Amino acid sequence: MEKKSLNKFLISKKFDTFFNELTNVFRFLGLYFKETFTSPFEWKETVNQCFNVGYKSLSLVTLTGFIIGIVFTKQSRPSLSTFGASSWLPSLISIAIVRALAPLVTSLIAAGKVGSNIGAELGSMKVTEQIDAMEVSATNPFKFLVVTRITATTLMMPILVLYTGLMGMLGAFINIHQNELTSFTAFIKNAFSTISFLDIYSSLFKALCYGFTIGVAGCYQGYTAQNGTQGVGKAANATVVIAMFLIFIEEMLIVQVVNAIR
Amino acid sequence: MKNKRTVIVGIFIFIGLIIFAITILTLGGQKKTFVKSFPIHAIFNDVNGLLDGGNVWFSGVKVGTVKKIAFHGDSDVEVTMNIDLNAESHIHKDAKAKIGSDGLIGNKIVIIYGGTLASPQVKKNDFLAVENGLSTDDMMATLQANNKNLMEITTDFKNISRKIDSGKGILATLLNDPALSSKIQVSATDLQATLANLKTVSESSKEVLGNLQAFSGKMNTKGNSINDLATDTLMYQKIKLTINQLNVASGSLNKLTENLQMASEKFNQKNNTVGLLLNDASTAKSMEATLKNLESGSKKLDQDLEALQHNIFFRGFFKKKK
Repeated sequence: MEKKSLNKFLISKKFDTFFNELTNVFRFLGLYFKETFTSPFEWKETVNQCFNVGYKSLSLVTLTGFIIGIVFTKQSRPSLSTFGASSWLPSLISIAIVRALAPLVTSLIAAGKVGSNIGAELGSMKVTEQIDAMEVSATNPFKFLVVTRITATTLMMPILVLYTGLMGMLGAFINIHQNELTSFTAFIKNAFSTISFLDIYSSLFKALCYGFTIGVAGCYQGYTAQNGTQGVGKAANATVVIAMFLIFIEEMLIVQVVNAIR
Repeated sequence: MKNKRTVIVGIFIFIGLIIFAITILTLGGQKKTFVKSFPIHAIFNDVNGLLDGGNVWFSGVKVGTVKKIAFHGDSDVEVTMNIDLNAESHIHKDAKAKIGSDGLIGNKIVIIYGGTLASPQVKKNDFLAVENGLSTDDMMATLQANNKNLMEITTDFKNISRKIDSGKGILATLLNDPALSSKIQVSATDLQATLANLKTVSESSKEVLGNLQAFSGKMNTKGNSINDLATDTLMYQKIKLTINQLNVASGSLNKLTENLQMASEKFNQKNNTVGLLLNDASTAKSMEATLKNLESGSKKLDQDLEALQHNIFFRGFFKKKK
């Protein structure tokens, strides 16, 4: 009996499950790239998902970006004032927002809002067998549900990052203008003096990666949800946790690569 | 409804692209990416951590960026800079380049300075002369040396103050001894009186100086005898000649005086005729008798000569003579 249970798993139950999931994820990714570049293309559904992912997140992202700009400026001022370097605030804020805060904060918000939404939506469709029904009705559910959502999150995230960056800089300008009476021209000159094209491109690249990660995590968790309504909640929760974890890992790796290029 | 969503997504993407475009253009404008430029070079011993893309300043204005940093020769570093075409007319071939920093702890930059209008404008691929300025490390080394000196000075002061506090040395006595203090007070009073006297002396000196000034003014007035004496070189020669002649005359006079003295000494002796005449009484009586005889002899000779004129033999001779 004991011998039989040992033969059931290659290493252990947890390790076997992990590697099994990893293989499934790569299969899922392979299928995504295959379906993305083969016709027919679901343009309308992709636009629809862009609306849900991008436009519907806009208000939340705008508010968050604006508040981050103000708060980060207020928190940084005392340290710089100690050295008499308050005039460096625009440079500091622009570096912080463009290089790190805008892509990271936007993607974390999107992971919470969009990722959980995708996970829960697809999960509920899976457990209520709507996806199976689509297959029966000669509709490719993967192309219609997964490809459109992953594409939408990947494409919309850079645009949301640009919005966040803009709002963050606006918030920082308002705070700096109130305290240091810095003009808009001086603020822009100072802010752009320290950032480079590489910073902009790397931020947009990060946003693409994070958007893709959120889409894949949400779609995979939803598409493979099991055990009824409990599985739906689990899928939504797992999407947020996994997406955020992967975003931080990616952030660390991309920063290393960008610094090596810089 | 679906068409409306498409429009909203389109607007959303469009605005995002506009933000992206504005960001790129602003950054490009700031980094002078879209401005026409030309390369110039400078070779430094040490670039102090200058990086590609660092700013190039001329008269405090950003005129370009560092394009490339590469080793040149053994250990020198060649810095290639992209200079805006607009700045070409302001930078001359004899301008110099040095490594500076944007603020005290800011990024390293290249500073172009100097240049004269006499020199032609800088052209593509020209090499600028460089000045190797002081690095932060050099300044820190100097500061460190200053700190050491300051430390030694403060230690010396500390020792001095300790000695004073413990009552050693003149300064301590000066500060603590009341008798010395009263003596110094008396000395100060004396010094005050001396100073009052000095003041009077100085006032008198002032007056004397005024007189001297007036005198020297007269000396400088032309036509004045003193001025002539001071300025006329011919008169000086004459005076010199006169002094020489006077010198010779005084020599002769000296000799004459000596002769006279010798003569007068001889007059007092009886071994010569004049001395005998002056000093011997018998000779004087004899001389007196002789003179009386001569007087009577001369009277008698007059009578004889008159008688001779009337003589028959000589009368004719005297008539012819008349």
